Amino acid sequence: MAKGTTVRMWHRTVFILIFLVTVGFGAVVFSLVRLQLIDGSSLQMRATEQQLKDTTLTAKRGTIYDCNKKELAKSATVWDVVLEPAFITDENRETIAGGLSKILGISRDEIMTRSRKKTYYDKIAGKVESDVRDAILKFKTENNITNGIRLVENYRRYYPYGSFAATVLGFTGTDSQGLAGVEAEYDSQLTGTAGRLVTAKNAVGTDMNFQYEQEVPAQDGDSLVLTIDEVVQHYVEKYLAEGITNNKVQNRGCAIVMNVKTGAILGMAVKGDFDPNSPFVVADAQQAEAISKITDAAQKKAAQQAALQEQWRNKCISDTYYPGSVFKIVTGSAAMEENLVNENTVFNCPGSLTIDGTTVNDWKRGGFGHLTFAQGICNSSNVVFMQVGQKLGAKLFYKYFGAFGFTGKTGIDLPGESRSLFYTAEQMKPIDLAVASFGQTNKITPIQMITAACAVANGGYLVQPHVVSEILDASGNIVKTASTSPKRQVISNDTSRRMSAILQQDATTGTAKSGYIAGYRVAGKTGTSEKTEIKTSQEYIASYCGFAPADDPQVAMLVFYDEPHGPAGYYGSPVAGPTFLGAMTQILPYLGVEPKYSEEELEKLDGKAPDMVGQTPAQAKNTASKAGLSVKIYGSGEKVISQVPEPGKSVPKNGTVVLFTDQKSVGQTVTVPDLTRLSLSEANQKAVDAGVNISITGAALTGSAAVSTAQDVAAGTKVAPGTVVTVTFSEDNKVR
Amino acid sequence: MTNASAGGNTAVPRRGGNPRKSAGQGHAGKVRKKFRLFSIRAGMDLPFLFLILVLVVIGLIMMFSASYAYASYNFGDSYYFIKRQAVFAVLGVFLMVSISYFDYHHLHKFAIPILMFSFALLVLVRFLPAVAGVHRWITLGPLGQFQPSEIAKFAIVLIFSHLISLNFSRMGTFRYGVLPYLLILGATAALLLVEPHVSATVIVIILGGVMLFIGGVKLRWFGAAFGLAGAAMVYLVSFSGKLSYANTRILGWLDPFSNASKELIDKTWQTRQSLYAIGSGGLLGLGLGQSRQKYLYLPEPQNDFVFAIVCEELGFIGALIIIILFAMLIWRGINISLRAKDKFGMLLGIGLVLQVGLQVILNIAVVTNTIPNTGISLPFFSYGGTSLVLLLAEMGVVLSISRTSSVEKT
Repeated sequence: MAKGTTVRMWHRTVFILIFLVTVGFGAVVFSLVRLQLIDGSSLQMRATEQQLKDTTLTAKRGTIYDCNKKELAKSATVWDVVLEPAFITDENRETIAGGLSKILGISRDEIMTRSRKKTYYDKIAGKVESDVRDAILKFKTENNITNGIRLVENYRRYYPYGSFAATVLGFTGTDSQGLAGVEAEYDSQLTGTAGRLVTAKNAVGTDMNFQYEQEVPAQDGDSLVLTIDEVVQHYVEKYLAEGITNNKVQNRGCAIVMNVKTGAILGMAVKGDFDPNSPFVVADAQQAEAISKITDAAQKKAAQQAALQEQWRNKCISDTYYPGSVFKIVTGSAAMEENLVNENTVFNCPGSLTIDGTTVNDWKRGGFGHLTFAQGICNSSNVVFMQVGQKLGAKLFYKYFGAFGFTGKTGIDLPGESRSLFYTAEQMKPIDLAVASFGQTNKITPIQMITAACAVANGGYLVQPHVVSEILDASGNIVKTASTSPKRQVISNDTSRRMSAILQQDATTGTAKSGYIAGYRVAGKTGTSEKTEIKTSQEYIASYCGFAPADDPQVAMLVFYDEPHGPAGYYGSPVAGPTFLGAMTQILPYLGVEPKYSEEELEKLDGKAPDMVGQTPAQAKNTASKAGLSVKIYGSGEKVISQVPEPGKSVPKNGTVVLFTDQKSVGQTVTVPDLTRLSLSEANQKAVDAGVNISITGAALTGSAAVSTAQDVAAGTKVAPGTVVTVTFSEDNKVR
Repeated sequence: MTNASAGGNTAVPRRGGNPRKSAGQGHAGKVRKKFRLFSIRAGMDLPFLFLILVLVVIGLIMMFSASYAYASYNFGDSYYFIKRQAVFAVLGVFLMVSISYFDYHHLHKFAIPILMFSFALLVLVRFLPAVAGVHRWITLGPLGQFQPSEIAKFAIVLIFSHLISLNFSRMGTFRYGVLPYLLILGATAALLLVEPHVSATVIVIILGGVMLFIGGVKLRWFGAAFGLAGAAMVYLVSFSGKLSYANTRILGWLDPFSNASKELIDKTWQTRQSLYAIGSGGLLGLGLGQSRQKYLYLPEPQNDFVFAIVCEELGFIGALIIIILFAMLIWRGINISLRAKDKFGMLLGIGLVLQVGLQVILNIAVVTNTIPNTGISLPFFSYGGTSLVLLLAEMGVVLSISRTSSVEKT
């Protein structure tokens, strides 16, 4: 025992020691167990929350291509300007505020205030272009600012062709989210997956200067390959816009071009649409001006909203309408499929039919007398079709109505498809059925109509209309291919073939001949539907639906004008027919459809101007007469130095080739006369008098009482003598 | 052996407690020994020395890791603190070993001067400009800051060991067993309290109390003391705002994650960050140097809250090992003291070792929010050069005691 320590001291020390170890160390170890082992994970989570800085890495939105890989919508790099107040010192605050204010046009005071915020990230300008970025970078270098201003990569959506295919493409919002069209429909695929950059930050908010960084890279969005063909779309839009102007269409128009076998939409247009680069601007100048004149703010806003909604609306799929006589394709096919009628079944057509006390008139007063079924279609007789409807009965009518896809949405891959409005078999009274047979009872969408027409054309198969053919991942691999297999067979191949033949007849000599294109065996049907829901005035929808070639259908087109008020009237044939004609004349050769000319057609077909340059006037005259052409000689030279039309260019049958024999004569011009509202012979005469050649398209080629409705070179234009002016002819405008 | 004990007792009747005289009247061997400045006859306690060196090294490493980011951000030099601390550590270890050769009995002579010196400093610090609103530090120029409370703790331990060992047989009386200590302790505590430095006050009172308890003061006095303390507590809680429930310090202690007020959030920031750090460590820790909380979240991580970073980087296992090392140090230190040659050495050793133990416990208790936040540094770990040197010097005294102690040396 130690000398110094008594037993009591020993005891008391041991007591203290035990107390210290159990109570003291016990308490702190217990606390550590609680904090580290029991509450550890939750505390760690809270710590991590404050320690980690999570920066979103924007994924690049996918590109939208047309079927030939032309870029219709793409994302380009732009920059967000971010202020980092944590790094801004009192010394450089003024400089930064001044410089940024000048570059970005934000007030200096605002930047000063925001630079004092207790944060490390404050976005002061979004999506600036590279010139602004360069200016900022230059400013940073010049003023030796290393921290405090950051440029963060972002993307902006560009539509290089402006309003081209705007309805199909749609547009994106400020956060690059798809708001309409395929941009909205395929938003999740296009968007990709935003990445994350997780870095550790210290309490001030700047990066910790040690290695802690976790990057989940952004996955760029998938790209879309559309079925839309830029060339087809171009013609569709061109002729649709022309039709809108010519026919003073009040409520916009739309057109769809579709591959009859696959359901691929080659072109889809609505006019007037918008520019997806600035979708929130009212595109229609007149409308915009009218809105700007509204003084009441609330009303103005409402009008603005309404105008925007209207221009964004895809009429092709969102509007429901009475298809009118175009629907006779469906009724007729059903009746033929059920063997209730054939081409030669005879109907009596006295001009009207009374069902349950309601009299329905045909478009031709006095009627057609006795007509075969085929003639009934070609003359678009409502009385014939009311009888066809009666033969079918409500049950069968409704069965085929459903089979052709009119009772449900087509399921096209675009947002905003409307449901059709229809009577079921039970709901249909005899008068409803009668009127429904010529398309005035049930309201359907244009996309449903053309899909049904495709089924009639392609051998009876209902296809899936679609605008996206392939989805490609960021590296260009195909992720998904659209299915082109048909949903079901609706009518037999035989019925399809026979109906096509009737429709070809209709487009050659019948009411639909405004869509006739020599050599391309067009099958077509016109429609004029009354907007019976409008009580205050008589408003119509003029439409034309056709496909070609009738013996091996490739492509179908539906044109639709809502409320035409133009000189050509409101009937489908003169209003919508020329658009079909104009667009398909370009589209069919472009798609490689081989023309096959009949004898008659060959006779009226334009020839090619022979090369007469270098010949003497006498020799030239001889050459021309051999080709069935006449010549007109300008100048007094000995040899022909140039000619119009140029060698190899198209010249109408019996046309005149103008020959120039000296330099002086070459500059001469003539004025194009107004060649519309004329008969074929009148137009010819007027053209010859004016010294221009006339090329005929449309109904005039098949003879009879066609009237010119349009010319491709405007009246009053100065042109070289002999220039070919294409004039479109239509049947008289009383045709439904 | 019993003679030496008797020798101690013979000194008791003498008032004033002159160690030389008491030793002079004792055993002849003692007389011979007292003229030796150094007592290198026996070796010092190597386990104790080893534990101290291990703790100093671990402490340096952890202080370096904890201060790394803070030093870098605030001084532009990550090594700012470690460079200084390392110099003091070397100096301190050298001083410790030197002191271990010095016969601790000489300290009898210094007990009263050091106490006076301590009082002088405590009074002086009151008149020096306040640092962070409190009068705790004296700035020593290039040596950094120095807390008089550190001297005060040593002064109390020394004077109590001195007086108790002299008046051991009269410890049962009020006049010799209670009154002088009460006066010394009361004066020191009062001076510390006005700094204000509550934690130092508490440590000094506990230290003094424990020494009196071991020194043989009658238990009823402790009963009275606890009674008085309890009454004071009740008074303070009910009648004064100082310790009332509304006190943000208490509120913050009860709910360190409260977002009730801006003031509260500011007040509990350190505790909150400390808990985040400890929690983040989990069982095995984030790894040495991997703390994230030291990146300006935990204010001044090199000081009182260094243990939070230890917990974060080394985890529960690492923290436990360090606590065990401290426990072993205390156990060994007390063992040495219990077997000391005389009561002075025994009491001195226990006082010094207990001081370390108390600081360790209270520091970790603060860091883990077991008790309300108050400024107590962690021995061997917290940054502070003079404090480390003084601590190591005190450990040198314990080693000196170990040379005369009969504890088994390994």
